[in-house]
Amino acid sequence: DPYCFALKMSILQYNGGSVIAMTGKNCVGIACDRRFGVQQLTLAGDFDKVFKINDKLFLGLPGLATDMQTLHEKLRYRVNMYRLREERDVSPKVFAKMVSSILYEHRWGPYFTEPVIGGLEGDKPFVCSMDLIGCPMVTDDFVVSGSSNESLLGICESLYIPDQSPEDLFETLSQCLLNAMDRDCISGWGATVHIITTTGVTSRNLRTRQD
Amino acid sequence: MARRYDSRTTIFSPEGRLYQVEYAMEAISHAGQAIGVLAADGVVLASEKKITSKLLETGGSSEKTYKIDDHICSAVAGITADANLLINYCRRTAQSYLLRYNQPMPVEQLLQNVCDLKQGYTQYGGLRPFGASFVFAGWDEHFGFQLYQSDPSGNYGGWKATAIGSNSSAAQSILKTDWKEGMPINDAIQLTVKVMAKTLDSTTLNSEKLEFATLTREDGRVKLHI
Repeated sequence: DPYCFALKMSILQYNGGSVIAMTGKNCVGIACDRRFGVQQLTLAGDFDKVFKINDKLFLGLPGLATDMQTLHEKLRYRVNMYRLREERDVSPKVFAKMVSSILYEHRWGPYFTEPVIGGLEGDKPFVCSMDLIGCPMVTDDFVVSGSSNESLLGICESLYIPDQSPEDLFETLSQCLLNAMDRDCISGWGATVHIITTTGVTSRNLRTRQD
Repeated sequence: MARRYDSRTTIFSPEGRLYQVEYAMEAISHAGQAIGVLAADGVVLASEKKITSKLLETGGSSEKTYKIDDHICSAVAGITADANLLINYCRRTAQSYLLRYNQPMPVEQLLQNVCDLKQGYTQYGGLRPFGASFVFAGWDEHFGFQLYQSDPSGNYGGWKATAIGSNSSAAQSILKTDWKEGMPINDAIQLTVKVMAKTLDSTTLNSEKLEFATLTREDGRVKLHI
């Protein structure tokens, strides 16, 4: 039957999506595409993959959509309990460890998502990514994840400039995400960018190619 | 006569009473007071801090008032250690409800849950009941602002104004005469201060001895201020 076919692809490419986080001078940017689809069929263009944990910490969760939602809800439980008991917000480093532990707890039946964390540790930027079983990687420039992660890595290496201001960081981050998304058929359909500074967060939706 | 029947919580006395539960309530009546008042646009909780030594490190935490979730808070009277256990239980329960249903837990459901736990300690296990009473204040979209009181027996009730701890009956009678339907939150705060002033053990009333919490809604989101 020529009208229904399934592609054999990795479980992490089933829904598609990309996330990127990048550091600037006392600021961090985190961005994601907005596509929600099932293999080659696109179903929505308003499916954000970056979630706010607190005013200075955001979490990006590309990968299998159901696992991304469940993991986000589990982390919300843990972060709420943390905040009630410790009477303070969770810091990015601690949160990264929390995510890593939860992922490793499911070492033999993992959540199919490779998170990206971007936040401010005091006023110093912190970015971290990890694989689906929780191996963390902390860098001082940028981290990427998702179905277009190779393209993202390539373009970030070329365009990244250290210690950018929030406005310049926004431009660089957006261009990296946009151009990498355009090379990936299962990412795209809009983008959301959050720039986190010590004074607040600016979130913008980008108009992109809707394909 | 009573002494023979009070060593085990899981046994009735010949008069049909549970002595351990009554002894728990007796313990609470010696503890610092906690008052709750329901207003038209919010709920007020006020508590008396019993220990006010200069040497006590207060830090930032409260001793009597606890946040359970973004939309529920609670004031405690009784054995603090027992209360802490239950507060933690309430917090975890509220979070698992949020995890399961992606909605804030309705206040009465939380009460039922924690009271079922307390009741278990009066019927099974041979363990003593919790020596703590609570006044819960919360808001949910089903019943709006609510005020509940729960005690060691596992009973709970919804109230318009209530008091627990020492001199609670005196406080309750003042509340009975002075509470008005539809009073705004500021009047409710005034009422709690007045009741505390009259029923507290010490002669002088200062801010060191009191802890207040108000639960209101602003822009459609619940605001909790301790």
